[in-house]
Formats: sequence, structure tokens, C-alpha cells
Amino acid sequence: MTAEELDPLIHVPTRLKIVATLAALPDGDALSFTRLQDMIGLTPGNLIIHLRKLEEADYISSNKTSNGSVSITRVALTGQGRAALDAYTRALRSLLNGL
Amino acid sequence: MTQPPNPNETVPGHDSPLDPHEAAAMLDQATQQARRRFQPNPPLLNVFRAFVVLAAFGSLWLSVRGQHPYTGPSGWAIAVAYVLVAVVIGWSASALKRSGAGVTGPAQRARNIGIGVLLVGWILVYVFQAALYKAGAPHDIVYGLYPATAPFFIVGLAGAANSAGREDWPTTATTLAVAVVAAVAAFGGPIDCWLIMGIGLCLAMLGNAAFTVWQQRRSVVRA
Repeated sequence: MTAEELDPLIHVPTRLKIVATLAALPDGDALSFTRLQDMIGLTPGNLIIHLRKLEEADYISSNKTSNGSVSITRVALTGQGRAALDAYTRALRSLLNGL
Repeated sequence: MTQPPNPNETVPGHDSPLDPHEAAAMLDQATQQARRRFQPNPPLLNVFRAFVVLAAFGSLWLSVRGQHPYTGPSGWAIAVAYVLVAVVIGWSASALKRSGAGVTGPAQRARNIGIGVLLVGWILVYVFQAALYKAGAPHDIVYGLYPATAPFFIVGLAGAANSAGREDWPTTATTLAVAVVAAVAAFGGPIDCWLIMGIGLCLAMLGNAAFTVWQQRRSVVRA
């Protein structure tokens, strides 16, 4: 196995942090955009770009709710995203064991 | 107005490629940070709880030691216990609120419902104590064995069932340990049950704190 075979969507620092953070939540739970932004330390614009890429691959799902004038976006790791992170972790482990 | 650049921030499309070691370190770091920040029972809080139960039950035991006949804990010991418990409740509520900020979903909802049911159960245990008093039960039961052990036995078992339903095994083990300590302490009689509870609960809390530290630091890559 080579580093090139690692899932390119996750094998990027920012998206790796996003996926690892969401994976620490129990299955099905979602995190608000603002808390995720606070934990990752990105500007809203940059975070949106990375989230969009993960959402296009169906690794995360997002849900926007509005309560009067306040709207809250929540992000959750999908089953496919969790499986992709598990596969990525296994691949990384076997790669490190082979080094 | 433009925001100053954040040196730690990566630019989309320009994220530098990771070598496997960097990726493993980053994955572990992000996972461990998230586990710490989503943890409603941080190890430091559990260490504090451990010493609080030891101090509270220790003072209750000191105040009943040598009583013949048994009359129950003195006012100063009850006041010390109440103040310490109030501090623990305040810290616990703050930790719970901080860890759950921005988190929604079935697991979060189940946890909140579980906490609500346990609080109601805790109050009902003391209502039952009043019923024992009204029925004329002796002081060594109403002010000794029952308040020292029954709340922890009942709420410990209910907490274990709730945590097991959520597959939260560390909390299941701790709450089950609390119920076991309460069952064992009841054999110590109305005086020594306070001391056994203090030591037993302290050990259970310290065990939970140690396990949480290990769990938070465990590598996901080098598992």
C-alpha cells in the first residue's frame, strides 16, 4: 500500500480534522456549524468549502433550521463517512506498519 | 474590513499533502481533542467528585461514630455534605452544558432524558425516606442505612441500565460499581456504612477518571 491509495477526500489536513471531530460524536448526532468552526479553527468561508466537498461525497449531511431570525446549520457524519474514516484509519495503520 | 490571516488555517485547494506519520498524528490529535471537548464527565471533575464523596461521607461518619443509641449525623456534618454536593452539582451542570453545546441528535436526547429520569428518581428516594420516618422506622434505618446506601443503590442501578442502553460502557461500569458499593456498605451497619460508602465511591470515581484519561489518549491509528 502507498500513501497515494489513501482516500484523497479525507487525506487533507482540514478535512481529516473535520471528519475526526464529527466521528467523536455518537452515531446520528449532529454538531452546529459554529461549534465545529470553533473546534477546527477555520473561517466560515473555508469551512463551508471543505464541508461542501465532504457533502458531495455523501460523507457528511447538513441540516439548516431557522428559529425566527436565527438560522442554525448542523452537520453530521453519515454512515458512509464513518465507514470511509474507518477504512482510511485501517489503511493508514497498515501503511505505518509497513514502513 | 478584512480579517487578519490565521497562520494555523489551511487554504482550500492548497492543503499541503500529508505524509502517513503526519496524518496519523493529526488524526490522533483531532480525535483526542474532540473526545475531551465532548466529554460530559472530565477526569478532573471525577477526581474532584472522588474527594468530595470521601470528605462528605467521612464527616458524616465522624459525626455518628460512637453513637449509642444511634441518632444520626449531626447538623455540621450534614451542612458540610450539602455544601460539597452543591459545588459538585454546579461544576457538573457547567461541564454538561459545555460538552453538549451545539450537539443535537438521538444520543444527546437519550442522555438528557436519562439524566432527567435519574434526578426524579433521586428525589423519590428521599420522599420514601420521609415515608419510612412516618411509619415509625428506627433511627438507624431512617437516618443511617437508608440515606447512606439506598439513593446510590437505586440511582446507581437505574444509571447503569440507562448507560447500558446507550452502550456507554465506562459509565455503565462506574454506576454499577456505585450500586455494588452501596449493597456492600449496607452490611457495615448504620455507622460504618458511611465510611464504606465514602471510600467505595471515591475509588469508583478515581477509577472512572483513570479510564477516561486512558480512553481520551488512546491512539485511533495505533490501536
